[in-house]
Amino acid sequence: MKRLSRPGEGEILLLTASRLLDGRIVWLGEGDHWHESITGAIRFTYEDAGPALERALAEAGQKEVVSVYEVVARDTQPPEPVTTREAIRAHGPSVHPDFSYDHAPVREKESAL
Amino acid sequence: MTQPASRSVGHYQYEERDRVFLQERINEFEGQVRRRLSGELGEEEFKPLRLMNGVYLQLHAYMLRVAIPYGVLDSRQLHKLADIAAKYDRNYGHFTTRQNIQFNWIALKDVPTILRELAEVDMHAIQTSGNCIRNVTSDEFAGAAKDELMDPRIHAEIVRQWSTLHPEFTFLPRKFKIAISGSPEDRVAARFHDIGLLARPGENGPLFRLFVGGGLGRTPVVGRELFDSVKEEDLIATLEAVLRVYNAFGRRDNLYKARIKILVQTIGLEAFRTAVEEELGRMDCAAYRLTPEHVAQIRARFALPDLKAPADAADVLEQHKKADPAFARWVASNTHPHQDEGHVCAVISLKTPGDIPGDVTVEQMHGLADLSERLSFGEVRVTHLQNLVFGHVRKDQLHELWQGLKALGLAAPNVGLISDIVSCPGLDYCNLANARSLPLAQKLGARFGDAALQAEIGTLSIHMSGCINACGHHHVGNIGLLGVDKRGAETYQILLGGDAGEQAAIGGILGPSFAEDEAVDAVARIVEFYLGQRQKGETFSAMLKRCGLKAFKEVAYETV
Ligand code: SF4
Repeated sequence: MKRLSRPGEGEILLLTASRLLDGRIVWLGEGDHWHESITGAIRFTYEDAGPALERALAEAGQKEVVSVYEVVARDTQPPEPVTTREAIRAHGPSVHPDFSYDHAPVREKESAL
Repeated sequence: MTQPASRSVGHYQYEERDRVFLQERINEFEGQVRRRLSGELGEEEFKPLRLMNGVYLQLHAYMLRVAIPYGVLDSRQLHKLADIAAKYDRNYGHFTTRQNIQFNWIALKDVPTILRELAEVDMHAIQTSGNCIRNVTSDEFAGAAKDELMDPRIHAEIVRQWSTLHPEFTFLPRKFKIAISGSPEDRVAARFHDIGLLARPGENGPLFRLFVGGGLGRTPVVGRELFDSVKEEDLIATLEAVLRVYNAFGRRDNLYKARIKILVQTIGLEAFRTAVEEELGRMDCAAYRLTPEHVAQIRARFALPDLKAPADAADVLEQHKKADPAFARWVASNTHPHQDEGHVCAVISLKTPGDIPGDVTVEQMHGLADLSERLSFGEVRVTHLQNLVFGHVRKDQLHELWQGLKALGLAAPNVGLISDIVSCPGLDYCNLANARSLPLAQKLGARFGDAALQAEIGTLSIHMSGCINACGHHHVGNIGLLGVDKRGAETYQILLGGDAGEQAAIGGILGPSFAEDEAVDAVARIVEFYLGQRQKGETFSAMLKRCGLKAFKEVAYETV
């Protein structure tokens, strides 16, 4: 499997997907459950993320998720995706603070991006 | 809520068999969704099936794109779209540059129910995605504009019926877009479509000038004239032949070279024309002949507005303008002359400076539907520039419309002006985006929002896309902005000199891309330079030609 995401200094990997039923962004958390919030996402090293990704892909149908992949994030509390794209997925569209998932819209977080 | 007239004007009235067809199609898709949710179908198998029904998986949810054939809605349909936005989305709809509407927060499990609700008002999402012939687009002033040569909607409907679920053209090498206009002023960007048709009346019936191989995206190309005068009776045969040649010879091995524009470029226009003529020679053209009877049958399913206005309608309008300068300003920018002296076409800007271009709320949709019932025969048109049009408003009632629009927050007097910004959803919603486009559009809108400043600048278009797919048509904006990913950071390339109309032109890239705020400042400097250096009556494109891109470049990068 070709992997593109390699975390840098102070960064980790998370696994993300879209929920089949409604397309909602989810993050792989403890107990191999997919959670809506990034807060409880499991932090992987590059080495650990590979097998976890393979397993998650194999179980995607059963767990009712699609489009599983790795995301590089800063190892902060909660983890913060490095790219704007993933930050928008994690927090909601920046143009609609009222649609934000955690009431911390991306726009206000721009300095952290 | 007011009940609409039994036969709303503007679009084709479905027959019973059209409705039966939609129900069958929904039943089929409902089964496919059920099998997907039960795990019987995997994503690989399901994806092409959902795309054929307008369902994309975007950044936050599924997106459903609903077709609005040639951009014409009736009030009943707009009420229904509002109900869907309230029930299944987050109280918004987004009008696109393809005259469609998108809902950004849809759950897959709800899609069959939504499709049933759409079918109640003769709407669907078929062929709004996938490698097929997409929704046919047309002139927003069709059947109303004073300068119109011929109402293009009848033939748009004929093309829609011909292309819907056409068995040969369901799996083309790539998507295929057709636009049709009947005005000497190209208001559909005909030269930037896979096929662009410009209709005009001839001595023995309508004639169609056919452009082929235009398009934007990764390789922007101005379409070229394939035929000057296709006769009405040969229209469908000719389209069929063009599509057959494309279907047979278009590339399927490379996504980026699969559009018809690449085929035409590769083999050359002459060879392409010869291939189409040979195909026509092989075809049983009689079977495709568009007879006057058939055209009349389709025409009969369009209701016409009963255009009666009081004799003093124009005087009343003048009095209203005199009494209210804000209204007069709105009339100056947001109306277009109508064929009937007592009426006018009103353009409703969905670009209130600082707002998201093309977005409408549930309240606004219901409000607009009510206004259209009262003041424009229950008809609403969507433009490819993401605005709405009431096609037939009595001049003496225009002030009433404006007041209604003001109450809905939709009376921005900026159509065709700098804050009338066309923008795709960009990285806030779109899975393919490199950068956000909406925040930049909002900032530019706010920067140039002042009505007096806009009036001083005059006609000037800004178009903005979040990636090279160019859904915001950035190549044809006088000023175009393209989102570019520069090592993970969002930056914006500026293009100057695009034009979608008769003087079709692709904007030239100014230079290296800017960060978001730098891009806003650079655009401001460009506009300032234009204001300072233009000659009397000189358009932006004309001044660009006179001064050259280099002069603008120096200004744009001045302090960076
Ligand atoms: S131009 Fe790109 S970012 Fe914008 S809607 Fe199209 S695909 Fe998405």
